[in-house]
Amino acid sequence: MTRDLSITINGEEREFAVAEFRSLLDALRNEIGLTGTKKGCDVGDCGACTVILNGKPVNACLVLAVEADGGAVETIEGLQAAPDKPSPLQESFMVHGGAQCGFCTPGVIMMAKALLDDNPEPSEHDIRFALAGNICRCTGYTKIFDAVRAAADEMRKAPAP
Amino acid sequence: MNIGLSPAAWKRADADLTIVGRSVKRTDTLEKVTGQARYAGDLALPGMLHGKIKRSTIAHALIKRIDASKALALKGVKAVLTHENVPRVLHYGSPHPRSASVTKDQYILDRKVRYWGEGVAAVAAISEEIAEEALALIEVEYEPLPAVFTLEEAMAEGAPQIHDNGLSGNNVLPTVVVTRGDVEKGFAEADLILEGEYHLGRPTPAYMEPNVCVCRWDGNGKLTVWSSTQTAFMVRGALSEVLGVPLNKVRVIVDHMGGGFGAKQDLFQHEFLCALLARNTARPVRMEFSRKETFLGGRSRHPGVVWLKQGFSKSGAITARQARLTLNSGAYGSHGPGVTNVGTAALTSLYRCENVDLVGRCVYTNSPIAGAFRGYGVVQTYYALDLQMDEAAERLGFDPAEFRLMNAVREGDIAPSNHPIVGHGLEDCIRRGMAETDWPRMRKRARQDGVKRRGWGVGCEMHGSSAYPGIKEQGNAVVKMNEDGTVTLLTGTAGLGTGAHTALSQIVAEEIGVPFESVSVVQGDTDVVPWDIGAFASHTTYMGGRAAQIAAAEVKRQVLDHVAPKLGARPEDCVIRDGIILAVGTNRSISLREAVAPAKGMPAAQLIGVGTYSPRKSYSFAAHFVEVEVDTETGEIAVTQVVPVHEIGRVIHPIAAQGQIEGGIQQGIGHTLSEDYQIDLKTGRSLNPSFVDYKMPLAMDMPPIRTIILETAPDPGGPYGAKGVGEDPIIAIGPAIANAVADAIGVRFRHYPITPEQVRAALRDKKSGAE
Repeated sequence: MTRDLSITINGEEREFAVAEFRSLLDALRNEIGLTGTKKGCDVGDCGACTVILNGKPVNACLVLAVEADGGAVETIEGLQAAPDKPSPLQESFMVHGGAQCGFCTPGVIMMAKALLDDNPEPSEHDIRFALAGNICRCTGYTKIFDAVRAAADEMRKAPAP
Repeated sequence: MNIGLSPAAWKRADADLTIVGRSVKRTDTLEKVTGQARYAGDLALPGMLHGKIKRSTIAHALIKRIDASKALALKGVKAVLTHENVPRVLHYGSPHPRSASVTKDQYILDRKVRYWGEGVAAVAAISEEIAEEALALIEVEYEPLPAVFTLEEAMAEGAPQIHDNGLSGNNVLPTVVVTRGDVEKGFAEADLILEGEYHLGRPTPAYMEPNVCVCRWDGNGKLTVWSSTQTAFMVRGALSEVLGVPLNKVRVIVDHMGGGFGAKQDLFQHEFLCALLARNTARPVRMEFSRKETFLGGRSRHPGVVWLKQGFSKSGAITARQARLTLNSGAYGSHGPGVTNVGTAALTSLYRCENVDLVGRCVYTNSPIAGAFRGYGVVQTYYALDLQMDEAAERLGFDPAEFRLMNAVREGDIAPSNHPIVGHGLEDCIRRGMAETDWPRMRKRARQDGVKRRGWGVGCEMHGSSAYPGIKEQGNAVVKMNEDGTVTLLTGTAGLGTGAHTALSQIVAEEIGVPFESVSVVQGDTDVVPWDIGAFASHTTYMGGRAAQIAAAEVKRQVLDHVAPKLGARPEDCVIRDGIILAVGTNRSISLREAVAPAKGMPAAQLIGVGTYSPRKSYSFAAHFVEVEVDTETGEIAVTQVVPVHEIGRVIHPIAAQGQIEGGIQQGIGHTLSEDYQIDLKTGRSLNPSFVDYKMPLAMDMPPIRTIILETAPDPGGPYGAKGVGEDPIIAIGPAIANAVADAIGVRFRHYPITPEQVRAALRDKKSGAE
């Protein structure tokens, strides 16, 4: 059984039909073609598929696409202000070495965005706690923490217009 | 054309590196932070089918009957493969065909099952769901065979033979023997002899990107494979050999890959199955492992045991070292012989000893397959070595760091690869770590006796860049200068995510004298880039970087030959700096862009250089200083800070090098304290194939890491003196933690991982022993 859905994805309203059992992750990757969101485990253990649904970070593999009907989803592809302009958070991950293999990176960045949206001045513990469900196997997290901390500082200095 | 610098200034500047050594923005991260980076699993082709593997539910058995008729009858199923309809070709599961140290013991699908979770059939269907459904419809009848899971069982008299491949009995792969000097004499001279057995758990790499490939055959019978592999050319070779297709009809593409840590040097059955399903259906097929399958069908580090006996003199010298390393290969050989070789040979070094007697064995069992994993045998043997060194220091009354310093290998000592070590890297690391931690004062601090007790420990390591002499390796590069003065580097090295392609671009930019941004990299397509053995053995920057440097130097030579006459100078009197060519001693200069542009009526010159490099070997060194806090009530060990000091020759990209070190420490903490992929020892069934049950240190667990990198022993074989760093950090951290635990609670564990239950039990035993 398929259902017709309407979801605002990165600010653009998308209408599509999807099987009722399909996860939001599979819908984003396979129906919409947004493959930036990664599938690391498909059971909610690794955080690689983190997206922001109606303002809250979720594991897209644990949400059915039909649950997002009528809602708004932000993915890694929607973070840039313009095609050649990474957001301050993305820029910070580049500068501070927060991405190595890059497979966990979209999920980590979306989780960090959700954190900073909610708490622009996070403590070290806040950053660690926010990223507790995002597995990174390359960096030892040191440079991820550096990147989030520096992005928070940067964004406070120059708030988004 | 005068660029306003005096010739003297030019000369001086030319001697300094301007791009190598700087943390430039990596070439791959813009794609990664914006979600644009393409991994093999992101590919969707028109008409693509989905492949799935049916896995065995028994560890050792013959397949009596396999019936796919019901699966084939399911709507949407396009093909089913079993051992009855795939080519029966014996192949190397780990594709190093020119190495003597691999075993040819795998079939695409076999009549026999050798471990729980082995692939026995594969399906291609129009959706993943239908493919899954079809798997359940394939009927398999097994004739069970007695299974062996432990070393003892597999090596016992009359144990069932897992392979019938002409090897000696008891499932033992060819033995490695290394001897130097006279151990009997050494033990006779010893004032103290220590002997112990060190037991090694089964950590797995747990890379974030599950194994995946997409295969497509075109109308001309050419196979294209998009795969997540560290060794694209080796995968091409294996597919060619097993499928009987010439190399020019197999193209392997790896754009980005989501980690490998060594394990993705192997083939995992699915490359062959996916290619055959695509051929049989004449449609592209995508095959992606679930996370569970990356555990079941993946590769772990070799579990096993090291028996180690050493003699020491009162003055602190090591008089003899004897070791017996026995590793559990699991169901197939994979990298077992290579790992055994490297791990055994490593015991000739790190701490000086003239009399060594070392034997390494690797044993087939019906366990999950062990393979290549960062630290390749050295993690196992140096864990034993460095724990025993710590014990010896205590028994002989030396400070543990001083004791290591006294025994550290140094310039001119013979390395495990049988050539002299360059420089004093290990001593430098130990000294620097002692200074950074204020070691002597800290060792004298008052010990706690409360519930939570802190301790400090040190561990050391050395690791080779390149797999020489086990494998004669080769790196190749092509560098082209375009007609606007920009540069294209073609390299065969894979991008695991380490930043190696950035490092290679820095080397090329530095060598030619162009801005970093002028260099772009083409990689990961076996039809386009020059042959490369693959990304492993901490050799990508060392070997691939040197090949790129050689190719870049050739392009520079061609540029200067071409341009010098225009400046009225000899080529050797010209320099290139930041894209400007200057005739030294004159004020004549020209921009590269202008110099190489097509002139009126004339095409641009083709400026192209090829670099080929076969490295020997260099060694990088490290000393890790670690603080732990042990909760004597819960048994929990927390690593509270790490000061890793690494000597890696010239650092090309500091942040990327630090990233390697910090990530290696994360994995090493996991190995030592929590990571252990377990099987049921009655059935061989996997017990924890998920990220919830396989426990890794994550954001809440990681301690602060104060990374220090030294460049005191650059290697003449590496680009600008660079050496490898990828594997080093995972080796020293483990023994440093175990030694810190001993410092904190006075208990010397001789295994990993060290669990809270074991800590509590050991403290109980200690207490009852004291009473």
